[in-house]
Amino acid sequence: MTSANPGADASRPARPGVAQWSDPNLSRFNPLQRILVFDAFESGTHGWVELLGNYDGNANLDTLDDHMHDFRPPQLSSCQFFDVGTHGAMSGTYALKIATRPEAGHTAVAIRRLTMAARGRVQFETYFTYKAEAASEENQAGLQAGATTWDGNIHPSEGQFGALTVATDIDDGVRYHCVVRYLNTDMQNQMRRQWVYPGVPEPTSRERVAGKVKLPRRADFTAPNPEDWHPFGKPQEFCYNEVPTKVNWHYLRWLIDTRTRSNVELQVNDQLYDMRDVPVPTYDEPYGSLHNLLNFYVSVRTHSNVRNFVFLDSILISVDW
Amino acid sequence: MATMQNSLTAVLERNAILTGEFATEPYEVAWAREARWFIRILDLRGTETHLEAKTQISPDGLRWCDLDESKISLREPGLTSRPVREFGGWLRLKGVVSGGGKATKDGAGAKVMIYLVLKS
Repeated sequence: MTSANPGADASRPARPGVAQWSDPNLSRFNPLQRILVFDAFESGTHGWVELLGNYDGNANLDTLDDHMHDFRPPQLSSCQFFDVGTHGAMSGTYALKIATRPEAGHTAVAIRRLTMAARGRVQFETYFTYKAEAASEENQAGLQAGATTWDGNIHPSEGQFGALTVATDIDDGVRYHCVVRYLNTDMQNQMRRQWVYPGVPEPTSRERVAGKVKLPRRADFTAPNPEDWHPFGKPQEFCYNEVPTKVNWHYLRWLIDTRTRSNVELQVNDQLYDMRDVPVPTYDEPYGSLHNLLNFYVSVRTHSNVRNFVFLDSILISVDW
Repeated sequence: MATMQNSLTAVLERNAILTGEFATEPYEVAWAREARWFIRILDLRGTETHLEAKTQISPDGLRWCDLDESKISLREPGLTSRPVREFGGWLRLKGVVSGGGKATKDGAGAKVMIYLVLKS
């Protein structure tokens, strides 16, 4: 399903023009005609916050779903490491860091909450990097699942990074999720380097309250059953850059269409994936309280007892309405 | 134009039941000039249960030492706060929940919310 778009060329995105070239912060992006948000984490979290499940009318947080009560607060990170000190972000010093606990299956999620003023194309762009935590006496990462033999090039920690996901939660009367996940390793810690999508919608608090679903703490909240995840396109190798303390920023551009409730395309560095045939799971039943919902989330899931990190330098969300 | 200063409240533990030795997850704070812990004990389980904790700092998020000699010692449900100064790039709270009396079926435990409030 790698792109066969006529004229599509990942190295030269289709939308040059407008005034972004005069702004070095915007010139690295390829926005649609209206920039909805531009989040440069040098200046704060810009509304990116830990995703939390739903709780009862007494504000009793014990009523949260077990698997949605500990997605960890995002951090304003200077990308600091034991060997070099402050690495810094792509622009300035600070990036948004999303960090798991060192428990296989644990997921960390940061979410951005918006609504839709119209239907049309919506594009998410970011510069990101990803890391597993370096080993220490305390974390014993070198002994955890996924660690391979060091050969001077490929580092044992690269096989200890699980997956990163960029996803939406959208409701126009029908609730649905457009989702893309980079599966670096599978749950058996084997390298996959594969883009995948879920064939089912995310389990909800209402389904849990209704007794339809009950998930354990470390369940994959986006789609708990690994068999519900399906590959699209060919595998893609990122630039982990050999060790867990060198960060190289990757460009990601993901286009969806809320008019047709569909994926359009995903570009990550020089790879362009035509996603028009990648299904978007919808809920059979309507949800209240979510009219025109437009949420984006970024998650990271570890498949080993090693902390996994996603760093976001900046995010730009643009629309054609 | 003056730039508004930054602030950030992170919930490091949410209705978590701490038992025995514990440490909060590493949190990056290099951007912040001010930090303050808020520890809310919702419930104490066991007999004569108490929570003791110290602020720890780190150059890398991997290796930790105590910030100073001050210790937070809590024996009752409620909200407590402590300021933290000159902390470098990382913060965590490390401590222990223990009981002084007769052991109960579930042992000593403290159900807590732990907030870290940061300002530039």
